[in-house]
Amino acid sequence: MKALFSLFCTLFIVSACSLSSYDKESYEVIYSIDEVVAEEKDAQNLQQITIAIVPKVANIPYFNAVEEGALEAAKDLGVNLLYKGPAFADASQQISIIEELIEEEVDAIAVSANDPEQLAPVLLEAKENGINVITWDSDTVPEARDFFINMVDPETLGRHLMDTLAWNTDETGEFAVLTGALSAANLSEWLYWIKVHQQEYYPNMTLVEVSANDDDPQRAYASAKKLLKKYPDLKGIIGNSSVGPPAAAQAVKELGKEGEVAVVGLSSPNPMNEYLKDGSAQIITLWSPKKLGYLTVTLAHNSLKGKEPFDWQEISKVGKIRMIDNTVIMGDPMDFTKENVDQYDF
Amino acid sequence: MISKLLKFKNYRLRTKLIVTYVLLTVIPISLLGYIAYSQYTKSIEEQVGEYIPKLLKQANENIANQVRELREYPDLLYNSDEVVGILRKDAHQSRSALLQDEFTVNTYLTRTFINGSSQDILGVFVISKNRIFHSTKIPYSNFGLVDYSQSYGQDIQLKSNDVFVLPHQTSLRFEGDPPFVLVMKQLTDLENRTDLGTVLVAVNVTFLESVINEMSEEGKADLWMMNQDGRIIYHTDANKIRTIDREFNKYPKINGSFRSTQEDEGRLISLNYMDETGWTLAHSVLARNLTEKTDLVRNATIAIFLVFVAISTLISFLLAWNVSSPLNRLTRMMKRVEKGDFDVDLAIGTTDEIGMLANNFNSMITEIKDLIRENYQIELKQKEAELYALQSQINPHFMYNTLETIAMSVDDDEKETVVEMVTLLGRMLRFSIGNKESVVPISDELLHVKDYLTIQKIRFEEKFDFIIREEIESRNYYTPKFVLQPIVENAVKHALVYGRVTVIEIGVCLVPGTDGTEEISFKVKDNGTGIKEETLADIQQMLASDPMAKRDSHFGLSNVHARIAMNFGSGFGLNISSGHDQGTEVEIKIPVLKNSTEGGQQKLEKN
Repeated sequence: MKALFSLFCTLFIVSACSLSSYDKESYEVIYSIDEVVAEEKDAQNLQQITIAIVPKVANIPYFNAVEEGALEAAKDLGVNLLYKGPAFADASQQISIIEELIEEEVDAIAVSANDPEQLAPVLLEAKENGINVITWDSDTVPEARDFFINMVDPETLGRHLMDTLAWNTDETGEFAVLTGALSAANLSEWLYWIKVHQQEYYPNMTLVEVSANDDDPQRAYASAKKLLKKYPDLKGIIGNSSVGPPAAAQAVKELGKEGEVAVVGLSSPNPMNEYLKDGSAQIITLWSPKKLGYLTVTLAHNSLKGKEPFDWQEISKVGKIRMIDNTVIMGDPMDFTKENVDQYDF
Repeated sequence: MISKLLKFKNYRLRTKLIVTYVLLTVIPISLLGYIAYSQYTKSIEEQVGEYIPKLLKQANENIANQVRELREYPDLLYNSDEVVGILRKDAHQSRSALLQDEFTVNTYLTRTFINGSSQDILGVFVISKNRIFHSTKIPYSNFGLVDYSQSYGQDIQLKSNDVFVLPHQTSLRFEGDPPFVLVMKQLTDLENRTDLGTVLVAVNVTFLESVINEMSEEGKADLWMMNQDGRIIYHTDANKIRTIDREFNKYPKINGSFRSTQEDEGRLISLNYMDETGWTLAHSVLARNLTEKTDLVRNATIAIFLVFVAISTLISFLLAWNVSSPLNRLTRMMKRVEKGDFDVDLAIGTTDEIGMLANNFNSMITEIKDLIRENYQIELKQKEAELYALQSQINPHFMYNTLETIAMSVDDDEKETVVEMVTLLGRMLRFSIGNKESVVPISDELLHVKDYLTIQKIRFEEKFDFIIREEIESRNYYTPKFVLQPIVENAVKHALVYGRVTVIEIGVCLVPGTDGTEEISFKVKDNGTGIKEETLADIQQMLASDPMAKRDSHFGLSNVHARIAMNFGSGFGLNISSGHDQGTEVEIKIPVLKNSTEGGQQKLEKN
């Protein structure tokens, strides 16, 4: 009897293996790859990030538009933004601004360099102080910065500028280039590609002079007038920096040469709106400096977070970027004509 | 418990053995089976629990890829400068201009989205500055966002770049009610840094469907995708789409698997979280379904277990029987021995402990038997010695009386009488002290008695007489010595009555015995006054009691009786019958002792 009972007991134990127990938690983890951490804004990171943007020069429409974009990004990302530029596109002034920023212990500095060589030592010093250094708009020597944010591919831009002029001069005649600082790396590169393109495709056109103005509107205006007087057969002017086209258009308008001399080049739509509509300028080309400002702050912020940009990266509110050899390319250049210039506000 | 143990201690050895054997076999086997089975199912669950999250991760990656694609749909709008140009305008235009813009944008939407490469797009809506542009693949109704219902007049300001609007958040329905999600994206004027409006792309969740249904394995498992609130976006069970998974908050926040322990039926649930969207892909399967194949193993295990238990129980019964039955036999044997039967033999063929025990028992019994016999023999010899002494005893009274009679005869000068008496006395003495054999021919015994009676007759002259009747050939039969003399002496002593002639009759004959053989019967009869009833009862009681006991009175009778009883068994001995004034008859029964003296001796020794 007892044996029978114990037999039943053991049978019950065996058959009871499929019964569940109730005393544990409702769920028993069997296997876990990783925990899902609810995405929290890192609250401990209350320390404000300060990003400093140094343009080539303060108070020209182009860099003001950059500032707008940069401020928008700073607001979106919740960072402090310092936007300080020199009165003239001058490397030494930029150096002193950067030195000040180093003392202020900013977290990142983004520079549009007036001179690739002269700025290098102070940027290296900034790097030694643990500041992330990037360049935008105009590059320095590669050793002095982490990466360079270029608006457009310089070859594309230079060739395109040459094209826009050629369309408006029937591919013939003399033309001049109004550039900013001769030392500025980006301007030099675009100029190089303008020349290459002209030699390759437009043998009937001649570049008579390259006039530098250090991004000073007054000087630009003066040199434009000088050029028009010096070369009466001049068919077109390319403004290689954003100060050039408005100055050239103003000069053309004042001298009554609308239609005779084509004005193209790099400039913002707002200052050129009037000139495009009255015919003193034909096409201007640019990118959105606001977008550039936005992108610069975003990438500076990313790099402080340890996220370096990569090829075809999707940047919020900017779009896809390219990353080639430590150089970020924001996108393609845009043309503004009298038809579409009203759509743009910068 | 302790009392139970004590109880168990007192159980029969066989029960104990069976219980012990059964426990020893059943418990380990059942434990082994249980552990093996549970480990097996556990390892299956673990394998599946490890495998499914990986599968889910893969599926989630597929879905995430598709989601990335979905997110890029709104960006297609940027491709058209014309459309972007229209969106940059505000609504303050002439009706025809507005309608033209609407036509342009709708055409673009149809061309790009509806007729585009993606089959999953159900419709596109663009809300921009009080204008709605749209194009859909199938008719729809109730376009309006529950959560953003105020948004028609104003531009929607999305905090993040894009948002998935789930069906429960909108009253928008398409014909046929296909499950869909709305990808809602803020359109930013990238160049001017202003808002252009909002794009909503309605996408059929077939992209989830294909991935999820692929994994559901013929409906055995439930799969669903839910958002961060547990709202179900897509479920293999269509009825559950748009409902909320109530358990969602209780699930462990892991990418992995866990088992539900509260429900009636255990479920294995696996989750994978998708960073892209904040959605979680879940897979749930009944543990029963997982272990379906192992049920066969379990049943087989139980069957084997039962067979094992049956076999082991049988074996344990046999073993217990093997141990206990010889012990039981031993017990029975011991009881027989206890009752005096030493003729036992515990025959056990084995040489194990039981066999050894049996052998020891057998040798012990033999030893006891030998010891008893030895002791018995010693006792017997002692008795014999005693008897011998008794035998050799000549009553001094008789000697005195006889010698007195002889003296008187000498006085009377009766020469012949003296000679005769002395001769008789001499013969008697020779018989007494003669050969030491305890068994003599009946004729010798009779002669001795006759000598004694003759002397008495000479002494008492005509007051006394005797008759001896021999009905057998007395020379051929034997009897223990001195059987008759004490009886006859007794008779002479008690039967002599003055005033009449006392006659003593002695008869020897063969009578049939109780067991069919013949016995020899001596009868000594007198014509005296007899024995009183009480005295007779005393004597008979005395004779019936232990013949070995020593006693003082009635020595002669009891001595004879004891000797005979001891030698030949209780069936033999004295029998006294008497009545008042009717004389006394004493019958002595002995077995037939024939042939040579040697044979008789043997027979005596045997008993």
